[in-house]
Amino acid sequence: MQAEYIPPGTAASSPLTQKGLAPAVDTFYYDNKIVRDFGIATVFWGIAGMMVGLLAAFQLAQPEANLHTSFTTFGRIRPLHTNAVIFAFVGNGIFMGVYYSLQRLCKAAMYSKVLSRVHFWGWQLIILSALISLPLGFTTSKEYAELEWPIDIAITLVWVVFGWNMFGTIARRRERHLYVGIWFYIATLITVAVLHLVNSAEVPVSWMKSYSAYAGVQDALVQWWYGHNAVAFFLTTPYLGLMYYFLPKAAGRPVYSYRLSIIHFWSLIFIYIWAGPHHLLYTALPDWAQSLGVAFSVMLLAPSWGGMINGLLTLRGAWDKVRTEPVLKFMVVAVTAYGMATFEGPMLSLKNVNAIAHFTDWIVAHVHVGALGWNGFLTFAILYWLWPRLYRTELYSKKLANTHFWLGTVGILVYALPLYWAGFTQGLMWKQFNAEGMLQYPNFLETVLQIVPMYYLRGIGGTLYLSGVFLMVFNLIKTARAGTLLAAEKAQAPALVPAELVEAHQGGHWHRWIERRPFQLALWATVAIAIGGIVEMIPTFLVKSNVPTIASVKPYTPLELQGRDLYIREGCSNCHTQMVRPFRSETERYGEYSKAGEFVYDRPFLWGSKRTGPDLHRVGGKYPHSWHYNHMLDPTTMSPGSIMPPYPWLFENKLDNSTLPAKIRVLQRLGTPYPRGYDQQALADARRQADGIAQDLKKEDIEVMSDKEIVALIAYLQRLGTDIKVKPEQVATAAQ
Amino acid sequence: MWRAALLGAVLLQAGAAAAQQAAPAPPLAASSQTLVLWFLLATLALVVTVFVLVVSLIVIKMQPLLRQLYARPTVHNTWSGKVLGLFVGDNRLVTGENRDELMGHEYDGIAEYDNDLPPWWKYSFVGTVIFAIGYFGYYQVAKAGPNSHDEYETEMRQATLLVSADADDPNKLTTYTALGTPADLSAGKGIFVTNCAPCHGPNAEGKVGPNLTDEYWLHGGEINHVYKTIKFGVQGKGMVAWKGKLSGKQILQVASYVQSLQGSKPAGAKEPQGEKETIKPLAAK
Repeated sequence: MQAEYIPPGTAASSPLTQKGLAPAVDTFYYDNKIVRDFGIATVFWGIAGMMVGLLAAFQLAQPEANLHTSFTTFGRIRPLHTNAVIFAFVGNGIFMGVYYSLQRLCKAAMYSKVLSRVHFWGWQLIILSALISLPLGFTTSKEYAELEWPIDIAITLVWVVFGWNMFGTIARRRERHLYVGIWFYIATLITVAVLHLVNSAEVPVSWMKSYSAYAGVQDALVQWWYGHNAVAFFLTTPYLGLMYYFLPKAAGRPVYSYRLSIIHFWSLIFIYIWAGPHHLLYTALPDWAQSLGVAFSVMLLAPSWGGMINGLLTLRGAWDKVRTEPVLKFMVVAVTAYGMATFEGPMLSLKNVNAIAHFTDWIVAHVHVGALGWNGFLTFAILYWLWPRLYRTELYSKKLANTHFWLGTVGILVYALPLYWAGFTQGLMWKQFNAEGMLQYPNFLETVLQIVPMYYLRGIGGTLYLSGVFLMVFNLIKTARAGTLLAAEKAQAPALVPAELVEAHQGGHWHRWIERRPFQLALWATVAIAIGGIVEMIPTFLVKSNVPTIASVKPYTPLELQGRDLYIREGCSNCHTQMVRPFRSETERYGEYSKAGEFVYDRPFLWGSKRTGPDLHRVGGKYPHSWHYNHMLDPTTMSPGSIMPPYPWLFENKLDNSTLPAKIRVLQRLGTPYPRGYDQQALADARRQADGIAQDLKKEDIEVMSDKEIVALIAYLQRLGTDIKVKPEQVATAAQ
Repeated sequence: MWRAALLGAVLLQAGAAAAQQAAPAPPLAASSQTLVLWFLLATLALVVTVFVLVVSLIVIKMQPLLRQLYARPTVHNTWSGKVLGLFVGDNRLVTGENRDELMGHEYDGIAEYDNDLPPWWKYSFVGTVIFAIGYFGYYQVAKAGPNSHDEYETEMRQATLLVSADADDPNKLTTYTALGTPADLSAGKGIFVTNCAPCHGPNAEGKVGPNLTDEYWLHGGEINHVYKTIKFGVQGKGMVAWKGKLSGKQILQVASYVQSLQGSKPAGAKEPQGEKETIKPLAAK
């Protein structure tokens, strides 16, 4: 089948010595301590993030699991879970892998130990601030970008430190050409920076509150350009870079195809950036942008699979090792999970599949195959591979690592399969009409109760997965105890010969040219990732026909605005969408489908991405105030069996109006047409409206102080989607 | 040769049949025409199956000969030769060759092979690009396909065909009489418990919504008035319109159940609202 492979380095001489050049051999030391520290942070935050995930999972089956505090209620801890797993677990995993491999691929120590330290502690502090601020309800509500503006600035600074350290190391490299892993690291560094800066554009109101610089449809487009590419450039490209280093290392085999890595690298980063609109199919996003999202998502299949096959085919000739080596087992499942998730992604982007799957647990299952399988398992593989090397000893127990592997694999299956089932079931139930032409399941709750057993099963799957991680912690601690940390690893390499002296660089593969020019590589990567975003965003922002104006849509009243900010604080959009799609099943259930022009004053947009509860865009005026009052106090009184948690604190807290004038001023600056000087009048208007609602409630025998938070929330909910509401019933009542 | 001729003949016939279908035909002939079309399609499928079987039989029988042909260098490296390879069990065209020649560079001990892109991967990439261009061109450039709004319009038009054009006029009062059979009343009770109890209380004693067991009614207590209130709701007062969620029959069942509760005096009854209106008790069963 294939030629006998002789590991490099065993050959007698390198091309350089053949030419008679005698470069000086430098001695230098790799910094292993920073790798170890990032490794510990990975495991620590991984466990924390997964435990929060488990808590959130069981809350969906058993709302009492919210522990009866506002800080631990689903709407607040779901963003905590996603942020912890993405930025704390995977983030530290990236830095661990990059700091280890970059030094060795560049044959150089990290550029600056101080920068490494600043990077490490800066990142941990950011995570800590997320851990504190998210449960307190400080959130922008934009998914995976929930952290408020001071933390956004801190993220930017730490990211610059990381980039400085990385490019400094690359500049001091003793290896002329950059390995494919480093291309991926560079693309990651640049793109994450661009995504973060553009999506976090917001105007502060106070220390921990800001309004998005974009509104409605535009905000949605920017957010999902960001959200999709956070998956691409935080969960995918850096991990592909890590795969290109650690997989051939662990297998002891050459990378299958150099040419494949070139094609799939450039096509992946170019195409990925365009695919964001597939998160907004059938929404109020202009149709042309939706079609672009579909087209590019389909084209993304092959570039993604290029990474998978280059990984799997690298294992040719090493499959016997896979049977015995837990590191390789984890890698095989990780790369396979990557392949499955990236096959499923384009399929879910087809509009007819998306029509069923979107807003359901199918998507949750899909992302967890990626997160638990690809990111989780590759991280575990790297940790099991690194720890014995960092501590100069053998892994404490292969058997335990194998047990971890099986617990994890079964855990992923028990997690994902029930959720696929649940998503498919619920998606079809929402759409089902009976023979009389009416919804088969008009009561949304019925479709929820149907899948609650699946929520229990997924919780069990998660528990299995997490228990495997605990085994790994034990194994790694035992391994570390058995050896001693080699904090500075001695290495030797010849200094880089000035490029003009090396004739060998002439000719060869054409791509070698850019591989010895980090600046040009970074520049072209920037060009590649910029095009998609620019083409999609600029027309949506500048061409007026993309968001047709609706004259009857007016800005929120001050009290409604306050209610909206409470909706954001409580994370309602984690479970409720505000986007009625143009399907008969949705207009029957919720009312007129949502139009782009309705969201022009929405900063941020609150379309949501998951319907654990029903859509709320047309909830305004549907129920009396008292219904909302009772429902928020105890959802099960109005919807028996509801899995929504109660919100008693909204009935105790007084509405904080101290920043209301500032909010009005910020929105005016952003273009909301409040009258001049309205900030001075807003408070009085808010009080008047609150008194009105309190009086209405009194008529229904509900005594409530008009300065409580619940009154503002009711005001907002009753306003939702009413600006364009057609009201035939009103005509009917009038005629009676 | 005869196979091709037959194939052509069948195709011609199918085309003629399709053309006939397109022409305005008397409605009675439509079913027999469909039958003919199905018959022709079945024949076509049969012929294609036989054709494929015969070709594969020939390929299998001629395997040694084909192999010899394939082994010739002049054939082996041509395009048609590669296709031939598919028939003799060499998947070079799909999987590519793994020459496994090293690139001559290495990074920290990691070397790279100079292998080709796997052809199946390359062609599927090209395929998706063609699909994407076609997709965008079809929907957005040529505007040949429906956009989201068009799809919605079509769906709603189709729905009106399914749902009878039942007078959906809220001003018109129906002329139903209350249902009295135990089956209808227990069905009505089931509907009441899941849909109405949250607001009107499990025993219709009134919570957010009014008490339904007393003689006072806000929107009329006669069965057809109750029917109308349930069906269209009362905008602004919190009564949800149940049309689209409950069928006409279900609405009548639950309205009848509500009437059967007249004077049941449940515990915790809400004070009367609306105007007094005595309802005729249900006819004895």
